[in-house]
Amino acid sequence: MALRSAAVLAIGAMLLATAPVRAQDKLVVDIWGGNFRDGANEAIAKEFTKRTGMPVEFITGGTIDRLTKAKINRDHPESDVTVTTSHVGALYVSEGLFEKLDMAKLPNAKDLFPVAIRSPYHIGLYSYVYTPAFRTDLMPPGYDIKSWKDLWAPEAKGKLGLPDFDPSHIIIAAALLAGGNAENWKLGIPLLEQLKPSIKAFYQSDATSQDLMKSGETPVQVLLSINAFHQMQQGIPIKIAIPKEGAVVGIDAIGIVHGTKHLEAAYQYLNIALDPEVQAKLCGIYRCGAMNEKAKLDPELAKLPGVFTTPEQWKTQAIVVDDVTRAKLLPVWKDWFTENMMQ
Amino acid sequence: MRPRPFFLWFFLPSLAAAVLLVAALGEIAQYAFRVFTPGSLEVGGFTLDNFARLARPIYLSVLGDTLLISLATSLFTLLLSYPVAYAMVRAKSDFLRSLIMLLAVTPLFTGEIVRTYAWILVLGSNGFVNTVLKSAGLIGAPLGLLYTRFGVIVALVQFSMPVMIIILATALAHVDRNCERAAANLGAGPAQVFRHVTLPLTLPGVVSGTVVIFAWTMSAFSTPQLIGGGKVLMISNLVYLQGLSSFNFPFAAVLSLLALAVAMGSLGSMHPFVSRLELKAAIN
Repeated sequence: MALRSAAVLAIGAMLLATAPVRAQDKLVVDIWGGNFRDGANEAIAKEFTKRTGMPVEFITGGTIDRLTKAKINRDHPESDVTVTTSHVGALYVSEGLFEKLDMAKLPNAKDLFPVAIRSPYHIGLYSYVYTPAFRTDLMPPGYDIKSWKDLWAPEAKGKLGLPDFDPSHIIIAAALLAGGNAENWKLGIPLLEQLKPSIKAFYQSDATSQDLMKSGETPVQVLLSINAFHQMQQGIPIKIAIPKEGAVVGIDAIGIVHGTKHLEAAYQYLNIALDPEVQAKLCGIYRCGAMNEKAKLDPELAKLPGVFTTPEQWKTQAIVVDDVTRAKLLPVWKDWFTENMMQ
Repeated sequence: MRPRPFFLWFFLPSLAAAVLLVAALGEIAQYAFRVFTPGSLEVGGFTLDNFARLARPIYLSVLGDTLLISLATSLFTLLLSYPVAYAMVRAKSDFLRSLIMLLAVTPLFTGEIVRTYAWILVLGSNGFVNTVLKSAGLIGAPLGLLYTRFGVIVALVQFSMPVMIIILATALAHVDRNCERAAANLGAGPAQVFRHVTLPLTLPGVVSGTVVIFAWTMSAFSTPQLIGGGKVLMISNLVYLQGLSSFNFPFAAVLSLLALAVAMGSLGSMHPFVSRLELKAAIN
């Protein structure tokens, strides 16, 4: 009997002892799955563990799933660090889900392009562009895209594919062509209505964007540069344009979850993620642009359109919209787009 | 009556599921009456504006499309499935019966996305149909089959057929063959036997199958999403666009309630018609 009591006590003590240790001895990062998780693991997490001895666990999910979970679990956060699209990051900020950053704890932040500081709560990790691209073998000889206006050309009629989940790129482009900007986007409405006959289909994800391009269903697309690079590597003849008005920049950002129990470790993770070498490695995997100006990207990657490596490129080729503006206007744009452009 | 506590154990899970379902519907319903604030996940105070928005042409058009596509899908599925179910039940050879059963039911195991992607390959500009027609010299330029109501209905019919075949086969298997033999003995030809005996006796299955497929199609999402390519929208696609793209949960909730109300209303309005049909069949 005594032996049994001792065994029960020992097991109980073990359970009590191991539970808090397991909760404390790892950093939890929430991020998208697939290549995003693998890339972050390879470039950032391994370096973090090497330097700190602390393992990293990834929780994966879609953008909205993770935001919803973060909101529900705000009092008991499941993760310590979050990687998300920067304008969705603005929603995390407005909901009080991110810690305010102490930049003194992020020495690598001093070398970032100014555009990387998205807010006092979240920082850009890497960039990409949404820009026009086309299949050179399926469009008439001589067709080229020098300006967003070329999407309105007769050659593109009935051939254009656009994302259905985010119409901001084409709306911003139309506004710029009409002499406006993101805030007074309605100036571009007449142009957008003229574009309707050119649209063949709307894609719902990166996968469907790639399918539509590969099959030639929509040989002209406004697409994510990373997807086009991937398809070009597969031998699909795609030309990515950086229009004279610029390409619409997307930035994936990183923030520290409010209420994390691993604040110092989270700062270390962020600082390592912004390290020039880590940035170069991460961008080599994702085929994207680094946020740290000192990152030495592979020359083949650096020369790709939409991979900005100099302040001059950011100034002349990038259309950057403030995250809060984008987060507030995206639902408005989406509503207008669904009601007037789709179907 | 003596209490039967054993059955209580079956009742409790149903009760728990019902409570959860009602709670979820209640949560959706309360969202429908709240103000949406762009750029925030928090909803505001009470409003009826979300319902007023339904009067805009786009939403009426999507509702009309949803009903039209659901009706067309259920009718075409019935027309194509009945002969298959008939052949499956009445085949004399066990091997043939098993083969038809296998071919009819196998698509159920491939999943909606896989089947939808297969239809993209078949209906695409460079897909099977266009390639065959072009090779035969019947068309010069590819036909636009994808991103149309036609394409969506074709894919939904194929998706729905296994379920309809199973329902119809069950109904056909319960037909008393003596009734058919009696009709034949009285001089009815095969077509007359089918029209006056077999079809009326399978009417409950026909009606159940049509209603099930109609209701099922009303909530179709992936097929119109992928085959429709944003050019053909059904209510579920709008709910997705509003809720998960725009974060406009209040209006997504209104659309969800609309979809629920329309599905229940359609099924309810079918009831008197179905009862009359079954009564007429019974009298005949």
